[in-house]
Amino acid sequence: MSLFGSISALKLPHYKGTAACAGVRVAPPAEVLLPMTMHSGGAAVPVVEVGQHVYLGQLIAKEDGRNSSNIHASVSGTVKAIEDYEQEKGRKVQAIRLESDGKMEKDPSIAPPEIHDLDSFLNSLHDSGIVGLGGAAFPLWGKLDAARKSHIKTVLVNGAECEPFITSDHRTMLDNTDLIVKGVEILREYLKSEEFIIGIEENKPDAIDKLRNAFADKPYVNVKPLKSVYPQGAKQLLLYNGAGLVVKEGQRLAALGCIIINITTLTKMAEFVTTGMPLVERCLTVDGSAVKEPKNLIVPVGTPVRYLLEQCGGAKAPVGKLIFGGPMMGKTGYSLDQPIVKASNAVVLLSEKDAKALEPTDCIHCGRCDDTCPLGLNPKEYSRVLEEVDDADEQYRILEKEHILTCMECGCCSYVCPAHRPLVENNRKAKGIVKKVRAAQKEAAGK
Amino acid sequence: MENLIIASSPHIRTKDSVRGIMLDVIIALIPATVAAGIIFGGKALALCAVSIVTCVAAEYLFNLIVGKKCTIGNLSAVLTGLLLGLNLSTNVELWQCAIGAVVAIVIAKGLFGGIGKNFANPAITARVFMIIAFSTVAGGAAPAVVDVVSSATPLEMMAAGNDALPTLGQMLLGVHASGAVGETCIVALVLGYIYLCARRVIKWYVPFGFIATVFVLSLIISGDGSYALYQTLGGGVFLGAIFMATDYVSTPLTSRGKLVFAIGCGVLTVIIRHCFAYPEGVSFSILIMNILSPYIEKFTANKVLGG
Repeated sequence: MSLFGSISALKLPHYKGTAACAGVRVAPPAEVLLPMTMHSGGAAVPVVEVGQHVYLGQLIAKEDGRNSSNIHASVSGTVKAIEDYEQEKGRKVQAIRLESDGKMEKDPSIAPPEIHDLDSFLNSLHDSGIVGLGGAAFPLWGKLDAARKSHIKTVLVNGAECEPFITSDHRTMLDNTDLIVKGVEILREYLKSEEFIIGIEENKPDAIDKLRNAFADKPYVNVKPLKSVYPQGAKQLLLYNGAGLVVKEGQRLAALGCIIINITTLTKMAEFVTTGMPLVERCLTVDGSAVKEPKNLIVPVGTPVRYLLEQCGGAKAPVGKLIFGGPMMGKTGYSLDQPIVKASNAVVLLSEKDAKALEPTDCIHCGRCDDTCPLGLNPKEYSRVLEEVDDADEQYRILEKEHILTCMECGCCSYVCPAHRPLVENNRKAKGIVKKVRAAQKEAAGK
Repeated sequence: MENLIIASSPHIRTKDSVRGIMLDVIIALIPATVAAGIIFGGKALALCAVSIVTCVAAEYLFNLIVGKKCTIGNLSAVLTGLLLGLNLSTNVELWQCAIGAVVAIVIAKGLFGGIGKNFANPAITARVFMIIAFSTVAGGAAPAVVDVVSSATPLEMMAAGNDALPTLGQMLLGVHASGAVGETCIVALVLGYIYLCARRVIKWYVPFGFIATVFVLSLIISGDGSYALYQTLGGGVFLGAIFMATDYVSTPLTSRGKLVFAIGCGVLTVIIRHCFAYPEGVSFSILIMNILSPYIEKFTANKVLGG
């Protein structure tokens, strides 16, 4: 936080070289692998059998449990296997492997959903398989379900795209403007929302112009340019800079009569409502220092990274790091044979040279982490507690008091640290400590 | 098969490093060092050289003895040495300077756990130690470190009611050749200040807040503009405010805390100079504020958005 208490943010290098490259739809890969946890909630359950033929868009796994989501075939072909897939090192999930017949034959039963009111609209979303495509992967039906309880007056559409490298949302805004307009109209009709704020970073003036023109005759839509700083697209920042609202720790966004929806998610929703086609493909950015010809590609969900790299002219340097998402918040993969999932807005491949971790040294108390945290948190203190406080109760007491759970792991503190300390990693550990104690307290209270 | 690195986000990092920051501060001290050489001659440079070499050697040996990783590469020992050298007057013996350097590195820093763990600024601590240890004048009114036998400092002249004060221009250039070798040339110090602000190594308001507080308080107390100017330009206010009160380790981490620290230093400097009949208050005020830093930090914590 700065001296005068304004919200801090980082000026990052943009690396948005693919912004001029419209999404290229390439031939489907020979095989796709669809993990049952491409969303934030419980794993979906396969409803197909090995050897069975599937159409493009056919339901292959059904949602099960809290915040789960349906999964649909992203190619036409045969179910080759239902197997264990190591999504992250040490975490295995079930996944369906489909062999493509190359025809991309659509499921003939796909038809626009019958929607006539809020209830039927929300119910239909279960069939869409759509999750938050900005990275969070929260099922769309779960997010919009809040409209059953409280009126959603304001819809914030997130077109900030603040992470370096990623331009897939930018391309969506330029290439699918009509679907954005349609999406806004759908939400206006069924949620009865009164105000739409589309927040876009100033580094995308063409997208701002295009959307302003598209919504010129719609006074309820405000296309709002936002400063090109990171993490402008984060919930708290977008909310504050876009709508002047602040959501309290532990409070739900819907309690403010507001939701935030990623702009590509909005277009997928519009597409589903008009055609009935569930989420089976997406546009994503393939970039990074190891990629010969960085591009935006439109590919089936479940496409292996190796295939994406081939479509981009291959590697120009040995790949040292595979990142699903942007370089600030993305997660690393362990193999180029891993598939992209629904929320993969980018695949960043860094050369071995750029992938090397910097050796952490002693903290010099410079305060840059504290200065930079957009939420005004104190990363240095969290790390101190982890390293120097031995008593578990004391750890919990301090961490909780210092609002560790509001940390969104945006990466700013680690980015600016001149001692290259693993601050975000420590924040994650610290959050784990507080969550564990809270879960235990909850259980004890339940008994 | 690729050998992919699994790591926590973020995957890009700033190009800044601890070594880079230390180097920036050293670069910012070059004008003051050159000025010291011109104004005070070879002895000033010899003091800096002995101090730097001793600091680096002390850090190297200390790490070796306690079995820690060698840290001289981060240049912090070089910086401490240079700062200490610039904080001494030419009548300090070179062996005294070497002892001060050992105190700075081993006692003020190493024993507290090395870089980042010391509660007080090592160079300041060593200077204060030397003021006390090598005092030649009883009562401490004109300690050897600050005093120059041939000429008294402007502040001492003022304290003694001497009329032969240097002109304002002489004060800015520091040609009056009295006091610590690095503190007199205001122009050189301000060049360093501008460089450090431009490189975003320090917050502009820390030295500014310190210096402005000294000026304003001196003005209020005396009601005399030229007196306030001499109070501000004389002594170690600029050197202390720009290079010591901005030390990361021994000052508060929060932005508002840094400003509180700076103002506190200014207030204490004026109080010490006025109430204790002691011409130089910068070192003591910074040292006292160093000790208060953790508390200032606590009271100036950020407001958490949504917290």
